[in-house]
Amino acid sequence: MLRKVIGFAVIAVVSVVAVSRLGAQSSWPTTDSYLNADTDTADWILPARSYTGNRYLAHSDITTANVSTLKKAWATNVDARGPLETSPIVWHDTMYVTSSHNDVYALDAKTGAVKWHHAYKPHVIAFSANRGVAIGDGKVYEATLDGNLIALDAATGKTLWSVVAAHDTTNTFYTMQPVPYKDMLLLGASNGDWGGIGYLSAFSAATGKRIWDWETIPGPGQPGHGSWSGDSWKRGGGAIWSGVAIDPATNTLYADAGNPQPDFLGTIRKGTNLYTNSMVALDISGATPKLKWYHQFIPHDTHDWDPAMPPVLFSGTVGGTARKLVAAGDKGGNFWVLDAGTGALVYHLPVSTQKGQNTEPSRTGNIACPNTNGGVEFNGGSYMPETNAFYVPSVDQCGQWTSPGTATYVSGQFYLGGAFPKLVGPSTGYMSAVDIGTGKFLWRKHLAFPQIGGALSLSSGIVFTGGVNGDFTAYDAKTGSVLWHYPTNQTIQAPPGSYSLGGKQYVVVASGPAGINFADPRFAAGAPTLEGTYSHPTKATITAFTLP
Amino acid sequence: MRTIVLWLACVLALASPPWAQAAPDDHAGAIGALADVRAAVAEIVRIEDGYAVGHGAYVRAAHRAMNALVGRRDDGYAASYGDPGDGVGTLGHLDIMLDKVGSSLWTPAIEGAKANVLAAADNLQSALGQKEMEEYEADLTRALANLALVVGRPAQDGVLGGISGALGNTTLGVPWGATSVSGCALPSRAPAYGIVAQRLVYVALPRRSASAAIPDELSISRVVVRADDVVLYTHGAVAATTACGHASRMQRTREVALAAPEPPFTAAQAHAGSAVYRKSCLQCHGADLQGTAGPAVAGTEFLTTAKRNKWSLEDLRVTVFQNMPFSNPGSLTPKQYADVSAFLLASSCYPAGTRPFPQTDSSTLAAVKLGPISGAKPTNAKLGTCAVK
Repeated sequence: MLRKVIGFAVIAVVSVVAVSRLGAQSSWPTTDSYLNADTDTADWILPARSYTGNRYLAHSDITTANVSTLKKAWATNVDARGPLETSPIVWHDTMYVTSSHNDVYALDAKTGAVKWHHAYKPHVIAFSANRGVAIGDGKVYEATLDGNLIALDAATGKTLWSVVAAHDTTNTFYTMQPVPYKDMLLLGASNGDWGGIGYLSAFSAATGKRIWDWETIPGPGQPGHGSWSGDSWKRGGGAIWSGVAIDPATNTLYADAGNPQPDFLGTIRKGTNLYTNSMVALDISGATPKLKWYHQFIPHDTHDWDPAMPPVLFSGTVGGTARKLVAAGDKGGNFWVLDAGTGALVYHLPVSTQKGQNTEPSRTGNIACPNTNGGVEFNGGSYMPETNAFYVPSVDQCGQWTSPGTATYVSGQFYLGGAFPKLVGPSTGYMSAVDIGTGKFLWRKHLAFPQIGGALSLSSGIVFTGGVNGDFTAYDAKTGSVLWHYPTNQTIQAPPGSYSLGGKQYVVVASGPAGINFADPRFAAGAPTLEGTYSHPTKATITAFTLP
Repeated sequence: MRTIVLWLACVLALASPPWAQAAPDDHAGAIGALADVRAAVAEIVRIEDGYAVGHGAYVRAAHRAMNALVGRRDDGYAASYGDPGDGVGTLGHLDIMLDKVGSSLWTPAIEGAKANVLAAADNLQSALGQKEMEEYEADLTRALANLALVVGRPAQDGVLGGISGALGNTTLGVPWGATSVSGCALPSRAPAYGIVAQRLVYVALPRRSASAAIPDELSISRVVVRADDVVLYTHGAVAATTACGHASRMQRTREVALAAPEPPFTAAQAHAGSAVYRKSCLQCHGADLQGTAGPAVAGTEFLTTAKRNKWSLEDLRVTVFQNMPFSNPGSLTPKQYADVSAFLLASSCYPAGTRPFPQTDSSTLAAVKLGPISGAKPTNAKLGTCAVK
């Protein structure tokens, strides 16, 4: 114990020295900055603000009393070749955002003026999307659609280094925002519908050199391997593609592994298919990660219902008892609350219409809900201690699913064993507030459009979210009444953020063209928004709001 | 002396007579190429038929076959494994034959053979990366199928005849320095090669030595035995000699020779597909087809990816018909899917034909491999796309 304490003391001294020596460059976040990101009211330096994954501000100048006066501070257009899913990173007076095709922008956080723009031309396998950058030590890091991890000079936007990070660039790409943690960048690969095996990697933040990989599908001889029939594990899927949460006190990383493959054909992969559709808790204190526990949400999934929501760690009160919890959400329309220490289920709650979930897709087709784009999507939601409630948007759609009963792997193509479902019936969404104490709804709003915009909770009792119809809305956290809204007239599928500069608090959100999942022509046909009718946007914009 | 020089110059300046033979020494090149293919096939067959234990023997076989195919000047050549071929490699021989201005009747067959050698080499390369025996063997089987097409059949001309077909049916079958005569008449003396419009009609051999001198690559349809010689008529002799007396018409006739099966679609389908694309695809794949929220679906970027991933037209069909539009898959009619597929092919500069793109499953599409199109003339050179009218 004594030895451990001394160890920490030495590290602390070294870091202080390092900071003072770097002089001007000490203006970059240190390990401590990341560990204490939740108390930094000025900046936003991790994808979901802090390692907990919870988009929550414990201090807010924007209140239920003044939010109605919130005004656009600035709006800056960026590359509009695809949807914006970027979670802005703000450090001091600079904001870093990305476009769908991996262009990186450094913006003046006060005015929105472009300081520099790094253009990128990736080969796109299937979807163009990017969820943002990481910063540190004068560098801006981005993981790209062509499988690279790149480091740019934060002052100029010039490329410092670029490494091929994906193991197979024919079926693997990156959309995830890299997570800086103790000189490492943590990054999951997107390959879960293209015939790969999911993996989470750690790279050296200094050089991009690979430190470790953790594969989500257990190979021969490993525990869990028996949950796959035959050789089906080899293209088993389980991509970690949305985000991770970390408890630095225990060096535990929480991640959700995605759906099994072929997505819609279960007969050739009999078994529960571990660790697909599971939350895994990894001990990342050693040279390679060790699995502490897993919780599988949907065993042997045949509908691509992966737990897209990034995990959110929080301390909530359940049945009058304070507990350390971790939340998850899946495209099957479930919101899950687990014990953060053990992975044991506390409860789960359907947040979208569920139907026909236990029937595998047939040759002739059968209907199940939610649709493949349904349920809780990749921006997840957030928890507010003041209300002990979790705010989570969701998509309400049903689909008709078919599988011909065979699956063929073709390099660079979907490996589905069937067809993506055909949308059946209406396409709507919910904004739900889940009372963590009871596991029941505190309030719910049924909205005319799918909701995938994540949530930002302010301690003052406000929740921000955006819909695919472009409405950016502030809800009263207690009642669900709309306190303020702003029509971006673009699709919102990026999460909101907040920062303070020059004594003013800002809220920021990205909007742009509809992504591939929500490009349904019916959305454009004069459908209603709070301010008029929706039409397909052709621009992509970062918009910041502040009080007058 | 001066007269002779002038006369030679005149001969050289004149167009080649219709029975002209192949340039030096394409015949020998084709024979060498064939020998190297057979050496590669022998390596593969030996390892597949044998009971070798251990990874090393299989790696060695694949490398040796690869060496025979690509030749020592290629990056894929791994000298340490040895070379059962002549070192030039099938690819080396074929490249020398093709590396010249103009084309011959045999050019399409040799181009087709080269494409199949490259496909075989790709499969061997893939085999070298396999960890599982089953997948290794599957790759080798694919390579063997490619090589069977390289060797081809003497009875068939055009691209399906491969090297054997070219040797057995065209001027390529004439050894350098041998006597070529018009195939419209019997030769005055043997040995002689009868040629009509670059087609090999017969091989005439002296009776005494005929049995030992019959070329391996000849598919003989008829034998005429005369006092001093034996005239061996080729498979295509009858068809070729119908041109005798109609040389001018023959010259006008262009053989439509294809290096590989072409994607079937009509111009009308492509035209109709343009509207389908605008309504249901453009939003994600862009007005220039280079992708916005989705990937590029035509032109250089798409075709390069297709080649890298070995996509067939069937792969394209399945993705389009089953999974598009991504936001509402399966929502178009079979006709709309076929039309928009035709539009995509036309936009990639594939030529329209008379066979329509099928609206239902078709076994023929798997044989059509997608990739950059030689000789394409894109209307947008930067993107490699063609405007569809």
